[in-house]
Amino acid sequence: MAMMDAQANVSAEAAAVLSVRHLTKSFGGLKAIDDVSFDAAPDQVTAMIGPNGAGKTTVFNLITNILSKDAGQVRFLGRDLARMPAVKIAGLGLIRTFQSARVFPGMTAIENVMVGGHRLNPRSGASQMLWLRGARQEERGILRRAEDMLEMVGLAPFRNTHATELPMGAQKLLEVVRALMAQPKLLCLDEPAAGLNDTETQELANLLRAIRTLGIPVLIVEHNMSLVMNVADQVVVIDSGAIIARGTPAEIQKDKLVIEAYLGRENHAAS
Amino acid sequence: MLEFLQICIGGLVVGSIYAAIALGFSLVFRVTGAINLSQGGFAIIAAMIGYTLGVSFGWPLWVAIPAAVAATVAIGTALGAFTFVPALERLSNANVLMLTAGLLTAIEGVALVVWGSQPYAMPPFSGEEPLVFGPIRVPTQAFWVFGATVLCIAALWFLVAKTELGKGLRACAENPSAAGLMGIDVARMTLFSFALATLIAAIAGVIVAPTTSLQFDTGRLFTISGFVAAAIGGIASFPGAIIGGIFLGLATQLATAYISSLFSTAIALLILLAVLIWRPSGLVQGGAAKRQDTRDEVKAVGHAAKLPANLAWPLAMLALVVAVLVPFAVTDNGILSGLVIALILFMTLMGLDVLMGYAGQVSLGQAGFMAIGGYTSGYLSINYELSAVLAIFAGIGVSLACASVLSVVTLRLRGLYLALATLAFGLLVDSCAVGFLDITGGPSGLVGIPSFSVAGFEFGTPRAMYYVVLALDAIILLGLAGAMRSGFGRALKAIRSDQMAAAALGINTVRYKLAAFMISVTLASLAGSMYAFFFNFLSPEMVGTGRSLELVAMLIVGGESTLVGGLLGALLLTLLPTVFQPLAIYKTFASGALLVASFLYLPQGLYGAVVQMAVRLVRPRGEAPEESASKTSVRAL
Repeated sequence: MAMMDAQANVSAEAAAVLSVRHLTKSFGGLKAIDDVSFDAAPDQVTAMIGPNGAGKTTVFNLITNILSKDAGQVRFLGRDLARMPAVKIAGLGLIRTFQSARVFPGMTAIENVMVGGHRLNPRSGASQMLWLRGARQEERGILRRAEDMLEMVGLAPFRNTHATELPMGAQKLLEVVRALMAQPKLLCLDEPAAGLNDTETQELANLLRAIRTLGIPVLIVEHNMSLVMNVADQVVVIDSGAIIARGTPAEIQKDKLVIEAYLGRENHAAS
Repeated sequence: MLEFLQICIGGLVVGSIYAAIALGFSLVFRVTGAINLSQGGFAIIAAMIGYTLGVSFGWPLWVAIPAAVAATVAIGTALGAFTFVPALERLSNANVLMLTAGLLTAIEGVALVVWGSQPYAMPPFSGEEPLVFGPIRVPTQAFWVFGATVLCIAALWFLVAKTELGKGLRACAENPSAAGLMGIDVARMTLFSFALATLIAAIAGVIVAPTTSLQFDTGRLFTISGFVAAAIGGIASFPGAIIGGIFLGLATQLATAYISSLFSTAIALLILLAVLIWRPSGLVQGGAAKRQDTRDEVKAVGHAAKLPANLAWPLAMLALVVAVLVPFAVTDNGILSGLVIALILFMTLMGLDVLMGYAGQVSLGQAGFMAIGGYTSGYLSINYELSAVLAIFAGIGVSLACASVLSVVTLRLRGLYLALATLAFGLLVDSCAVGFLDITGGPSGLVGIPSFSVAGFEFGTPRAMYYVVLALDAIILLGLAGAMRSGFGRALKAIRSDQMAAAALGINTVRYKLAAFMISVTLASLAGSMYAFFFNFLSPEMVGTGRSLELVAMLIVGGESTLVGGLLGALLLTLLPTVFQPLAIYKTFASGALLVASFLYLPQGLYGAVVQMAVRLVRPRGEAPEESASKTSVRAL
């Protein structure tokens, strides 16, 4: 918040993995997102926080074109994402998760993770039909990587359990490693801690730190303050559709506007 | 002009009936979010019972007709309570739709057993003498039809808009779980709407009976016309259903009069496809349109049965050896022919499984591509003496071309609209098969198709054909198994359960759905050609909509997303009537009833049962299956 936009961002934009500029969206006359600009830097965990209904998930959906934006620009690795379909965005390496863990029902845990490897699958369906060596090798490679992923989050014993039968925390972790399996160039997590208990949140924090050490930049939208303060390098605070502060977790914790947004201003406390 | 008016009156009569049936669709859809295809079946059951009581038993019509309606509603309510209501709780809406298709087939089967396949004619309620208005003659039955329809509409409107019960129905339509929390018995409301729709269908059935000839499978026409009318008008809206019904009635009657009776269905279906492209949710937008995407997926996907890898290969080899040896043990040509038919249908079923079981795309018109393949290769080999292999490829080419056109429609649709579009396509092919006399031989079929031959060697006997088809099946199965166990199959399964999440992982959903569709079309076309070569003959009903529904039944009974499950379903439904000839008349009933029973009690199909048995045999006693690992222990990790 100390560094208001302009000068700081000119240099940041060149290096940023994702740069969001002047994002605006209205729903029937109500401005849900109002001129939001921020960057996600490489090798960092960027967190977007804000109270319920602040518009965090809307920003996410605007970035990934699930919603269409009224104005503004989103650039990912220097490319404009305007009107790009979700598949193509994923193809560029921007992989997102969903607020309600969307594991694939009807598939086991290991199959779920293996789906994540799809993006890097160069072999055609035809070569799989002919049981060609290359296709089988690729399949074994994906299986091995998926097993490593499950191992990493401690879900290996449940590899053959149907994903929907896992507890919520495990499903969330599964969704994150499924996204990791796609080797993202930017991993976007939409409220990964929603619905998790404290132990599960702790596991998630460990996983996020592990991802960071792998050098994968992360953009995380989160409601849970302690998780964010724990793992984020940069924090963007959004309230009523507009950015009200940005900085390191330590800076944010002391910010008066942020505290007001979360706790309410004294004269507005009743509402 | 007079003629035109006369035709319009005929159109209004038919249209009123369509509107009444469409109203039933709309009612059930609004309350439950599902489509009930069994409606037309109840219409015909009511008409048939009315005939038996009124004509065979000689009861006065004013007793016979209400008794028939009451009996039908009782039957319908019982069926609804034991099938439709429990199904809604555990099946996706698309599967409920197929379950009701099974109900329709079962009802037709019962009608076939009880009333046989001959047509019946019901006497008009108020005598044969038409009323004369100047130069226009209106049959008295038309007034019964108009009167009953208007009465139904008014009563339904009053019930839904003005009564406490109606408020409950509307609450269920808006939000079933909230309605449940407010103390409304959702299951009972569902049953009530089902019974009410049955009542409307039964009334429509008895009233229209004197204007048409009745046969055990006439109900299918009512269902389809009502469904098409509801879809044209807008399935979530009552006025839409009425407008759609009248519109459809007028359009088909005018087309019959001024173009050709052979193409009147084709025209109705083209109108439907146009509406589906132009305004997928119908001409009139309903207030309480259901979200097909979200609610569906929660209960959509069951777990497919899967053989453990260490058993799969040995068992596959064993099955192949047995299959190769079978013709030495079976000497009866009838049974061997049954086996060939089952193996040919298995080709289509593997494709259908890729499309429906893996990719989750409902198809109720798969036999349409069998027809295109069969007629194309039959026609070419008769008239141009094209070699069988080339003729098959030509058939596949034509089928793929038709499929690309159809996919323009289907790729945009999901759930019930997809089911509707594919059903319409199948019916369109049906009516073309009947209508293009010069190419297809019309209703009596295409005769003189040569046997399958390669390089001068003819496979004329059932035994020779058995090996050809078995080899093809084995190759196709091996290929598809390779793809389905790898990335291709995983991508399809991901799309089936959550398109948006699949796309977010970089899976090109459109391309994969199209690929699955084209695979299924290729295999259906191939099977159709083999079918034609095997019988040396092809007629519309061999590859008609009845066949499409039967294919779905075979797949579900055998076990979805297993590839091989379809074979079990095909064997069961093809061989049983062949082996036990006296039971052949029960075949229609059995295929419908088995479909319904599988959906409710055997979600993994016969194959699932076989797998469980195999696993139990191999695993030593006392060893716990790994699935049972306690769920809570995840937290301990």
